[in-house]
Amino acid sequence: MSQSATVESKKKLGPAGTIERPVTWVGRMSGRVTNARGKIRLLDRFEKPIEWLIRICGWSSIIGVCAIFFFIFREAAPMVPKLDWVHFFTSPRWIPNPAPGNEASFGALALLAGTFSTTFIALILCVPIGLGAAVYISEFAKGKVRETLKIVIELLAAIPSIVWGFIGLMVLGPIIQQIFSAAPGSWWGHTMVMLRLASSETGAAQGTNLFTGGAILALMSVPVVVSLSEDALRAVPDSYREAALALGANTWETVRRVLFPAARNGLLAACMLGMGRAIGETMAVLLATGHNNRIPTALTDPVRTMTATIAAEMGETVHGDSHYQVLFILGIVLFVITCSINVISDIIVKGIKKGNKA
Amino acid sequence: MTKKAKLLTGISIGAAITVIAMLALPRAGDASTTKKKVVEIRMKGSDTMIQLATAWAEAYRKVNKNVFVNANGGGSGTGFAALQNNSTDICNASREIKKEEVEKVKSVTGKEAKEFTVAHDALAVYSNPANPIKEMSVEELREIWAEGGTIETWDQINPAMKGKITLFGRQNNSGTYEYFREHICGKKDGKQREFRGGISEMNGSSEVVENVARTPTGLGYSGMGYKTPKVNWLKVSNKKGEAGVEPGADVARSGKYPISRKLYLYTAGDPSPEVKAFIDWILSPAGQKIVDQEGFVSLKK
Repeated sequence: MSQSATVESKKKLGPAGTIERPVTWVGRMSGRVTNARGKIRLLDRFEKPIEWLIRICGWSSIIGVCAIFFFIFREAAPMVPKLDWVHFFTSPRWIPNPAPGNEASFGALALLAGTFSTTFIALILCVPIGLGAAVYISEFAKGKVRETLKIVIELLAAIPSIVWGFIGLMVLGPIIQQIFSAAPGSWWGHTMVMLRLASSETGAAQGTNLFTGGAILALMSVPVVVSLSEDALRAVPDSYREAALALGANTWETVRRVLFPAARNGLLAACMLGMGRAIGETMAVLLATGHNNRIPTALTDPVRTMTATIAAEMGETVHGDSHYQVLFILGIVLFVITCSINVISDIIVKGIKKGNKA
Repeated sequence: MTKKAKLLTGISIGAAITVIAMLALPRAGDASTTKKKVVEIRMKGSDTMIQLATAWAEAYRKVNKNVFVNANGGGSGTGFAALQNNSTDICNASREIKKEEVEKVKSVTGKEAKEFTVAHDALAVYSNPANPIKEMSVEELREIWAEGGTIETWDQINPAMKGKITLFGRQNNSGTYEYFREHICGKKDGKQREFRGGISEMNGSSEVVENVARTPTGLGYSGMGYKTPKVNWLKVSNKKGEAGVEPGADVARSGKYPISRKLYLYTAGDPSPEVKAFIDWILSPAGQKIVDQEGFVSLKK
C-alpha cells in the first residue's frame, strides 16, 4: 500500500529521468509501468521509505537518550523526596545494608571523591601523553610512522575495559605496590607520607588503589584524547604553519606559539571528552581501585567510585527497595556529570569551528 | 510412469511417513519420561556455601541419576528472597533466617520456613605471615573493625608491628559480612554497630585471602576453607589475656572458637519427597564427607 502511494507521489513530482532505462522486475511485476520514459527506477520507488528509515535512525539516538533518562528517573523518583540530600552529598557513611534495627545511611561523599580523584589522576597522566602523541603524529611523524601510530593508538581504544581492569589488578597493581612500599621508619617511608604518596609509612597498603585506577583510566582515555586533538591540530590551516616558518620559527616553536593557541578549543574539547570517558568507566575501576569506601588522603589510598558501587551492588538489591533507588540516584548524578561535560565540550568545539571560518 | 505420477507417489509416501512419525513420536516421548523422570532441585543462596552446594550437586548426581541439582549463589539474603518467590526449592543460608523473612515466606507462600542444620563453619581472621602478631581478642578485633573503633595501627596492639592496619572484608550483601558484623562489631546502646569506613570490600571470599597474602599490613576475614600457605590464621580469644584458639573443626563444633557458626538449608514448608531425599543424603555420612572435603566442618558424628 505504502509503496503504491510513493509511486503515485513520485509520478506527481515527475518522471525520474528522461533517459531510457531497462524495465526493472518490480516494474514488470506491478504492471504499472507501460512507458519506458515515464517509468520509475527501483531505487526511486524506495526513496521515500529509505528516507524515513534514515530519519528514524537519526532520531533514534535522541529517543534513546530520552528513554534512558526517563527510565533512570522513573526508578529513582520515589526516593527523590525521601532522600536526605545534604547527608547524601556531605557524609562518607555508605551503609546500604544495615544490621537489623539500624537505619541505612546513604552518604555518597566518599564515592564522589573516589570518582573525581581517579578521574583527576587519569587526566593528569593522560593529557600530557595524549597531547604529546597528537603533536608528534600531526607535526613530526611522516609517512608510514604516522599511519602505523594512528592505527596502533586506535587499536588501544578497542581493548575491552575488563581487560584493562585485569591488567590493573594483576600487572600494574603488584608493580605499584612494590614501588610504594618501605620499611617502617625508612627515609622513603617518611618521604612518601610527606609528599602524600602514601598515607602510611609502610607505603601503599594494596596494589589496587587510586593511582592504579587512575593510570588504567589514563591509558583508556589516551586514544580519545590523541585522535581528537590530532584532528584539532590538523584543522589549523597550513597558511599558519607557512607563516610561522617564514618568520623563522622551527617546528617546536610553531607548535607552541602558533598551533596550540589556534587549536586551543579543540584540544580542550579532546581533554573534556577523555575526562567523560574516565568518569563513566566501570569495570576497570571496579577491579583496579580497591573498592574501598573512604575519602583518599594520599596517592596510593584505595578508593571506590560511583560506577563501581552501582555495578557491585545493583545485582543484589531488591527491586523497588530504597537501596535500589539510591543506586539509580547515583546513576542520575553520574548522568548529569557526564552530560554537562559533553555539553561544555560541544560548546567549545562549536567555538573552534566558528573561529576557523572567520 | 509419468512425471506427475512419480510426484504423487512421492508425496503420498512422504505424507504417510509424517503421519506415522507424528503418531509414534509422542508415545516414544511418553515412554522415555515415565522411565526416568528427571527432577530438578533448585538451590540458591549463600556465596559461602556455593562451592559446598556445587560439590553436593555433583556427588548426588551419581547417587540418584534422575535428580538434577542446580546450585546457585547470590548471598543468603538473595536465597531467602528466592524462597519467597518460589524460584528456589532450597535456600542455602550461612545465617539464621530473620524474623521478617519468616513472616514474608509465610505471607507469600503460606508455609512455614523449615530449617536444617547441615554443617559448621568458622570465620577465620587472616593475617600476613610477615606479621609477628599471631593472636588477638574479640575486643581488639571489635576496635579494629567497628565504626568508631580506636585501633587503627598495628603498634596499638603490639609495638613489634608497625604501619596502618589494612582491612579487607566482603561486600555488604554477603552473608559473611553480616555474620562478622554481628559477631565482631557487637552492640552499643542496644544497637548493632556497623563496620567502619575504609575497608576494602571484596567480591569473593578467596579474594580477601589473596589480598592479605599480598599485603604485609593486611588483615581480613573469610571462611576457614580459604586458607592457603601464603596467609596466617590468627588465634582468637574471647577476652584479652585469655589464650587464643586457632580455628579448627573441633573448636568450631563445640563453639569454643569465638567466630563459629552453623550453615543451614531452608525450605518453604515440608520438602517434596525428592528434596527430602536429597537433604537426608546431605545429612548422611556421604554428604558430610563432602562438607569436610570442602573445608567446612561436618556435624557431630
